[in-house]
Amino acid sequence: MSLFWIVIRRLAEIEERMATSKKVITREEWEKRLNDVKIRKEDMNKLVMNFLVTEGYVEAAEKFRMESGTEPDIDLATISDRMAVKKAVQCGNVEDAIEKVNDLNPEILDTNPQLFFHLQQQRLIELIRNGKIEEALEFAQEELAPRGEENQTFLEELERTVSLLAFEDVSNCPLGELLDISQRLKTASEVNAAILTSQSHEKDPKLPSLLKMLIWAQNQLDEKAAYPRINNLSNATLEDPTV
Amino acid sequence: MNSSNTNNGQSNNGKSSRLDGINRDLGLYFLELSRLRSSAAPTEMEEDEEEAPKELNTINSSGGFLVVAPDKLSVKYTTVNLHGHDVGVVQANKPAPVKRLLYYFEIYVKDAGAKGQIAIGFTNEGFKMRRQPGWEVNSCGYHGDDGLLYRGQGKGDAFGPTYTTGDTVGGGINYASQEFFFTKNGVLVGTVCKEKEMKGRLFPTIAVHSQNEEVHVNFGQKKFAFDLKEYEAQERLKRQMTIEKISLPPNISYGLVRSYLLHYGYEDTLNSFDLASKSTIPPVYIAQENGFDEQDIGYALNQRKILRQLIRNGEIDAAISKLRDWYPQIVQVGALEEAVKYGRIELAKFFRLAGFDDLVQDCVALLAYEHPQESCVGYLLEESQRDLVADTVNAMILSTNPNTQDMEGCLQSYLERLLRQLTACCLERRSANGEQGEAFLLRRVL
Repeated sequence: MSLFWIVIRRLAEIEERMATSKKVITREEWEKRLNDVKIRKEDMNKLVMNFLVTEGYVEAAEKFRMESGTEPDIDLATISDRMAVKKAVQCGNVEDAIEKVNDLNPEILDTNPQLFFHLQQQRLIELIRNGKIEEALEFAQEELAPRGEENQTFLEELERTVSLLAFEDVSNCPLGELLDISQRLKTASEVNAAILTSQSHEKDPKLPSLLKMLIWAQNQLDEKAAYPRINNLSNATLEDPTV
Repeated sequence: MNSSNTNNGQSNNGKSSRLDGINRDLGLYFLELSRLRSSAAPTEMEEDEEEAPKELNTINSSGGFLVVAPDKLSVKYTTVNLHGHDVGVVQANKPAPVKRLLYYFEIYVKDAGAKGQIAIGFTNEGFKMRRQPGWEVNSCGYHGDDGLLYRGQGKGDAFGPTYTTGDTVGGGINYASQEFFFTKNGVLVGTVCKEKEMKGRLFPTIAVHSQNEEVHVNFGQKKFAFDLKEYEAQERLKRQMTIEKISLPPNISYGLVRSYLLHYGYEDTLNSFDLASKSTIPPVYIAQENGFDEQDIGYALNQRKILRQLIRNGEIDAAISKLRDWYPQIVQVGALEEAVKYGRIELAKFFRLAGFDDLVQDCVALLAYEHPQESCVGYLLEESQRDLVADTVNAMILSTNPNTQDMEGCLQSYLERLLRQLTACCLERRSANGEQGEAFLLRRVL
C-alpha cells in the first residue's frame, strides 16, 4: 500500500514540476529571434531627437538634424526659450523666470495655480537664503498668504517655508531640504513640464519609458521562460539563461 | 595592390579572416536592411491581415429555432421553447481577432419577447448550438433574464443587472489582462477572468430562447454605445502607470544617447551634447563612471563623421578616395573581379537563399568600382539609400579597430540591442499567451 502512495506522490511532484517548469530558450535560438527583429534607423533617430528636444539640448538637436536628416518634432526655437526659464529657476532667479514664462505664454501660469504657487514659494526661499528677512516676511504676507487661504495644501507648504525664518542657522535646520538645490530643480522641472504641455508636447522623453518597458517585459517573461536576459542596460550584454 | 582573398575562410593572416567576417556579416546586415526597406515588418502586416467578424454565421446556427435576417445582423426566435436544448444560438462569421489589446461587439435587444432569455458571450468552435453560451464548457455568457454570468456550467455567478427590450449590451475580451468584460447601455458592468481553458479561437455569440425575442448585433459597422476607445486608453494607461513606477539607473538615457552618437559617428552632435551637459544642473556625470565602455566606439570618430557627411551629400568619389587613404584594406578598387568572385563564393556559402546573392554582391562591389555612380550598383547611392551605405561604411571602419571583439558591436548600437530585446521579449510573451495581444512596435510608440 505504501508503495502505491509513494508512486502517487512522485507522479504529483512530476506533474507539479511540469506545470511550473519554464520553457528554456537557448542563446542560439534567442539570438536568431533578435536578428529577426526589424528596427529602423529612422525610428531610432527619432527617439534620440525626441530625447534631445524634450531635455532641451538645442544646439545638439540642431546639429543632429544636420548630421542625420531627422526632423525634430517641435520647433527648435521654442526650446531655447524654455531652457532659459528652466535655467533661471535652477539658478534661483525666480522673478526672471516668471517674467520669461509670461513672455512665452501668459496662459501657462494662469492655468496652473500650483505651478505659480511653487514659483512664488521658491522666490520666498531665495529671499530667506539671502538673509533678506524683512522682504521675505512682506512677500509672504502679500503674495503667498492669499494663496494659502484658497488652498489647504498651499497653506501647509507656506507655513513650512515661513518657519525657516524661526531658525538661527538655516542651513542646519530640519527644513534644510527646502534650501537644498534639489528644491530648485524640482520647481524647474515643474515649469519645464508645464511649458511643454502648453506646447502640446509630451513632457517626458520616450526613451526612459522604453527602458522601463524592457525591464518590465523581461520580468513578465521570466514567469514563463528561461532565456538570455539583459541585466546591464548600459552595455546591453546578453546573459545566458540559468537552467 | 592585389590582396588575394579567394580563400575559404582559413586564412593565413588575421586581416583576411577579419575581412571574411566583415563581408559575411555585412552581407547579412545589408540583406536585412534591404528587406526592411522593401516591405513592412511582419508584425505590422499581420495586424492588418487578421479578419474581424462582420456578420452572423448562418450556416452554423441552430437553424430550426431561429431566423437570421437577410443582412445577417439580427436574429429572431421563431418557436415556443420547451426545454434547455432548443436555444437559438448563432455565432459570428469569424472568431474574435487576437493580435490586439481588446475586442468588442454589441447587441441591441429589439424585443425581449415572452421571457427575455437573451444572452451575449463567447463560445469556441465546437460549441453545441442548442445551448445558451455559458452553459457548456469553453463558453461564457451574460444572460439578460437573470443578470448572471455563466462560465462553462449550468449555474451562473452574480454579475450585473438584467437587461431587456431597448437595452444595448456589449461583450468584449481584454487580451492584456486576460479578461472578459461586459457593458450595458454604455456603462461597464464588470470583468471576469478568462480561464485558461478558454484559449483557442473564440466566437462572439448571441442567443435567444423565448417566443418573439429579437436581437440586433453590431460588429462595429455602427458606433458603439460604449466608449471603447476611452476604455482602451484607460487600460493602456493602467499598464503605463505600472511601468512608470520602475526605477532606472541614474543617467542611463543620457549614456545611451551618447553611445548612440558615438557609434554612428555623429561627432558634431556629440560635441554639442557634451558641452551642454557640462552646464546642466546638476552636472551629468561622465559616462565612464556609469559603466559605459567608450574606448571602442570612440574609435575613428572624426573620420567616420566625415565619411558619413560625404556619402549623405552624394559625394561618393570623395568618400571613396578618403576611404582609400585611411582604410585601404576595406576598399578593393581595381580588384573588382576578385571582389565579386570572392563575394559570390564566400557569401553564397553563407546564404542558402537564392536570389539575394545579387544584392549582397552589389554592396561589396560598390566599393570596388572606380565610378560607382555609373556602375550597375549605382542604385545604392540614391538619396534614400545613402544612410544605409553610410551606416555600412561606419560599421566597416569600426570593425578595423584592433580592440573590437565582436562583429555585433560594429553593427548595432547599445540602444538598438535594447530595442531588439524589448521586441523579442514582447513577442515571446505573446506567444506564450497563445498569440493573443499586441506586439511591440517602436513606430507606435513614436
